[in-house]
Amino acid sequence: MSEESPTRASLTTWIPYMKPHRLRLLLVCILVVAVVLIDLLQPWLVKEVIDRYVTVSHPDSGAILKMSAAYLGLVLLAFGLTYYQDIVLQRIGLSIVRSIRIDLFKHIQSLSLRYFDQNSAGRIITNVVSDTEALNNFFTQFLANTLRGIFSLVLIMFFMLRLDVIIALYCFLLLPPVVVLAFYFQKKIRTVNAEVRHRLGLVIGFLAENLSGMAIVQIFNQEVKQQKRLDERNRALLESTILENRWFMLFFNITELFGDLAIAALIWFGGKGVIEGTISFGVLYAFVGYIRRFFQPINTISQQMNPLQSSIVASDRISRTLQEVPDIKEVAGAKAPELSGLITLADVSLAYRSGHPVLHNINLTIQPGERVGFVGATGAGKTSIMNLITRFYDVTAGAVIIDGKDIREWPLSALRRSVGIVQQDVTLFSGTIIDNLRFFQADISGARVKEACKLVGAEPFILRQPHGYNTILSERGSTLSAGERQLLSFARVLIFDPRILILDEATACLDSRTEEVLQQAIHRVSAGRTLLVIAHRLSTVQQLDTICVLEQGRIVESGNHNELLRQRGYYWRLHESGMLLEEAA
Amino acid sequence: MSGLRIVGSYFRQNWIIYSVGVSMVAAGSLFAAQIPSILGHVTDSLRDSKLGTMEIAAYVGLIALIGVTRVATGWGGRILVHYKGRQLTYRLRKDLFEKWGTLSPSYYHRHSVGDMISHALSDVEVVRELVSMGLNQGVSGIAMLIGATYLMAVHVDWRLTLAGLGPLLFIPLLVKLLGPKIRLQSQLSQEALGAMAQTTEEVIGGIRTVKAFGTEQVVIGRFQSRVDAIVDEKMRFVRLSALFGALLPLLVNIGFIFVLGYGGFLVTMKAISLGDFVAFTLYVAMLRMPLEQLGNVINLVQRSIASLNRIDELLHVVPEVFDRTGPLMDIPLQGSIRVKGLTFCYPGSDRDVLNNISFCVNPGQTLGIIGAMGSGKSTLANLLLRLSDPPEGTIFVNEHDILHYPLARLRDGIAYVPQDGFLFSTTVLENIALSDEYPDRENVERCAGITAVHKNILSFPEKYDTEVGERGVRLSGGQKQRIAIARMIYKDAPFQIMDDSLSAVDTATERRILDNLRELSKSSPGHEEVHDKATIIISHRLSAVQRADEILVLDEGRIIERGSHALLISQDGIYAEQWFMQAGQFEEGESDKSPADVQREISQLDLDVEIEALEAGRLEEAS
Repeated sequence: MSEESPTRASLTTWIPYMKPHRLRLLLVCILVVAVVLIDLLQPWLVKEVIDRYVTVSHPDSGAILKMSAAYLGLVLLAFGLTYYQDIVLQRIGLSIVRSIRIDLFKHIQSLSLRYFDQNSAGRIITNVVSDTEALNNFFTQFLANTLRGIFSLVLIMFFMLRLDVIIALYCFLLLPPVVVLAFYFQKKIRTVNAEVRHRLGLVIGFLAENLSGMAIVQIFNQEVKQQKRLDERNRALLESTILENRWFMLFFNITELFGDLAIAALIWFGGKGVIEGTISFGVLYAFVGYIRRFFQPINTISQQMNPLQSSIVASDRISRTLQEVPDIKEVAGAKAPELSGLITLADVSLAYRSGHPVLHNINLTIQPGERVGFVGATGAGKTSIMNLITRFYDVTAGAVIIDGKDIREWPLSALRRSVGIVQQDVTLFSGTIIDNLRFFQADISGARVKEACKLVGAEPFILRQPHGYNTILSERGSTLSAGERQLLSFARVLIFDPRILILDEATACLDSRTEEVLQQAIHRVSAGRTLLVIAHRLSTVQQLDTICVLEQGRIVESGNHNELLRQRGYYWRLHESGMLLEEAA
Repeated sequence: MSGLRIVGSYFRQNWIIYSVGVSMVAAGSLFAAQIPSILGHVTDSLRDSKLGTMEIAAYVGLIALIGVTRVATGWGGRILVHYKGRQLTYRLRKDLFEKWGTLSPSYYHRHSVGDMISHALSDVEVVRELVSMGLNQGVSGIAMLIGATYLMAVHVDWRLTLAGLGPLLFIPLLVKLLGPKIRLQSQLSQEALGAMAQTTEEVIGGIRTVKAFGTEQVVIGRFQSRVDAIVDEKMRFVRLSALFGALLPLLVNIGFIFVLGYGGFLVTMKAISLGDFVAFTLYVAMLRMPLEQLGNVINLVQRSIASLNRIDELLHVVPEVFDRTGPLMDIPLQGSIRVKGLTFCYPGSDRDVLNNISFCVNPGQTLGIIGAMGSGKSTLANLLLRLSDPPEGTIFVNEHDILHYPLARLRDGIAYVPQDGFLFSTTVLENIALSDEYPDRENVERCAGITAVHKNILSFPEKYDTEVGERGVRLSGGQKQRIAIARMIYKDAPFQIMDDSLSAVDTATERRILDNLRELSKSSPGHEEVHDKATIIISHRLSAVQRADEILVLDEGRIIERGSHALLISQDGIYAEQWFMQAGQFEEGESDKSPADVQREISQLDLDVEIEALEAGRLEEAS
């Protein structure tokens, strides 16, 4: 739920989205009025038949038939209009929500990693999926039903006033109690319904827990006790659903009773009027017809309060996301320099939260084609350095300079294509292997993809899949082994041919045989590229040109394997204890 | 069709309430059907100017009376039917859960918890709809239709009735035809929405990859196509539902036009009275809703038959493990556990998970079992606990086949700690005292002390009364495991099985806990009720089984090495190799040293590791 109470004002955020549809919305309103009008004509027509053609001295059956035929035409028209109006309104709603969804998603994509680190994936997904769906309900349900409800109500009142002002005003006396009743009951039903859902949640939670832990329940011989505990929740749920039903029934039946009593009252006042000759019988009949229709629109409108409320909450959340500002910005007219792969960190500091720096004044130059390893315990700042080089985050102080240009002056897309990163957790998307490898960009040729796969040694296992490169990955590749997934991830990076390659604990979770295959791949792949390797196994970085040892956001030692061992410092201690680093990680 | 038995027998059991409820609902609708007819009489009387104030008052009174009566009877009947329907929901949920309590892990392995919950909720809900709302609407719709038809056709004019009601009778047909199509299309749009959710999930979950490749535009394109698919599916849905929404009033309106034209004509011809004409127009308006509901009921019956069959099938699953018939060893467990030539494969598979396993654990002894994932360790634990039944004549407690013990006795006699230290979302106290209806607080604290978690618990906001959250989410992995071990100790059973239950505990604490346990499983004079316990420790970490009396090394279901730690180290086999590797010295290949030397060095190293790990543990718990 949101921290601040949602404001109705947030719904105005969507006015620009509605603007292009304003003519169609107007059309819908007109159509709704027309349809409602045709429907409401019925009591009027009966009244006309009675007063004009039946209860006169010369009953005119021909006129009645003519009128029926004319009304048949109107009814057929109403059929078409109802259908058309519904489709137009729904299409408007859907296309508004479509634009909002796409804008929201685009906006989220433009946000920097900080946003994704600070907001749980679940929240963002809810925002994109459920919140926009709630908004969809606003346009397709709330708007449709409220429009129809209001127009019906207004037109019924109009017809009544046309028939007889006095009786109409008497009838309007019914309105306040009915409205109060409807809204009161809807509110009440909402709260009992919330209770039902709450208790249902408890039952679901209990079931989920006990079904997944059934073995424990059985081993501890607790079946009976757990049955009792389910029974408490089940019974509580039963009671709340019965209560909910009672309220619902009460509302439904009171409305019905109101309707009957209103008719009785009409007969009382109207009947006397007919006898006294102040109104015709047809008018009385029409009132009976209209008063019955009084209740439905009010009920419909009162039922819309729930969707309205959740739409407001949802729209509030969406507009708040849309107000997020990306903190990584591209400088206008930025141009990428000539690529060689020279990286300089000049006095770089980084704090994710102000006052809590994770990197302190890092100075480091990495030559083109150099292979550098980073080691250090979790939290030492290895990944933070990579976050800076890829510009996932901007430095708090200092500068990251690649090929002579501060990366803040690079075009983002050029930077990201020059820096490739292979992560420990491989993200694959639903789709075929080849689409995953070329990231759904069909303009990348199959030959290039295959070449990369051959280079990293991924081709043999890809060809073993049922349809080779065109195999659709089931469950985002979760059926592949960790090593196979990592090979795909390597190949994917290579296809984009980055000048700088970062391996972020890319071989951490692999068994030693797969790791060897990958190490060989790394060796082949790193030729002609600047290579940065984050590792927590020393064996992974031993062969590299330079190893940087990080501790609490500082580079405490650097040099090649032998130099560092000679220093007899932190690296040496790590090396001596072998597994210590892994324990620490 | 067998599922309908559930509903049938429920109706039979509650036949009095159901007959009363259904009759009241029907009566309510029959009363309601009178009102247009009365209004017709009012009309005729008014026309004939036979009405004085008294007569009007009488009519008004009659309408009010019938209104009150029909609402009251309908209301009462509906409440009864709804009440009973909700009780059926309650009972089905209860029955399902009771059945699930008898099913063994292999069943849970084959069925997802999500599916089972959806049975307990949505299928049961559909049944509830059928027996409450469906029954009410069906009865009331039919009663109203019969009442209105009778009053109009018999008392007025059957041709006009046919003309007026004929079009309306297509309503249930329309609902029956279009309803399922609309439902299907609505499911398709839900699926399209699901596909968009999935894409979003993928992209947000892999946002680093997306950003690293600079492929935001690509994923936006993918997302856009998902959104477009939603619009397409929803528009298909809208077209169907809009058609339905427009056809319904059309049918009613055509009925009305027949009444207006033909009825009006009959009035002018004096074939029917004005009052009859008025009543007819009102009937047409009144019958729309009940007829629409009748159509829904037809669809509901079809849907609920499917749900009922699923529930019925579930309630009739035969548990794989159950008490044998015949005389059983209905006595508390004691003595030793002996496994003789146990070979086991899961039903439906031809691969032996365990192959010719034999061992014996006597009271006071500890058996260690180690092996890689899939070596059959956990299956062995499942068989000892009879979560699956072992073959006849392979596992004995006190020289009696465990198949001849009642399940309750067997499980009472074994305390077990699962791999993940599964906890329930209740208090720490209740978790530790799971085996006890009335937790003994002092004993709980003693057990927590043994597993070195007492101090942690005291630092929790509500101490032992702290809720641990769903499956213990509010605790660290190590805390969960230690509480689960305390739960085992609290149970105080003669046999103890720990299934890799110290994996998240650092080695120093592990050793402390194991030492405490060893103390405990020997008879101690302080606690007279404590007897010698037979303990089985399953682990992938060798340090946990190091001091066991015997260690079995499992590989693909076979025992490949067995003996004490010292013996296994001296044999220089797989166990010894792993021991050195897990101690982190393997790569260095210290082959020139004797195992004893290595051992000395290792304990030195262990100490460092322990201190390091303790620090880490404290940090972890502080956060």
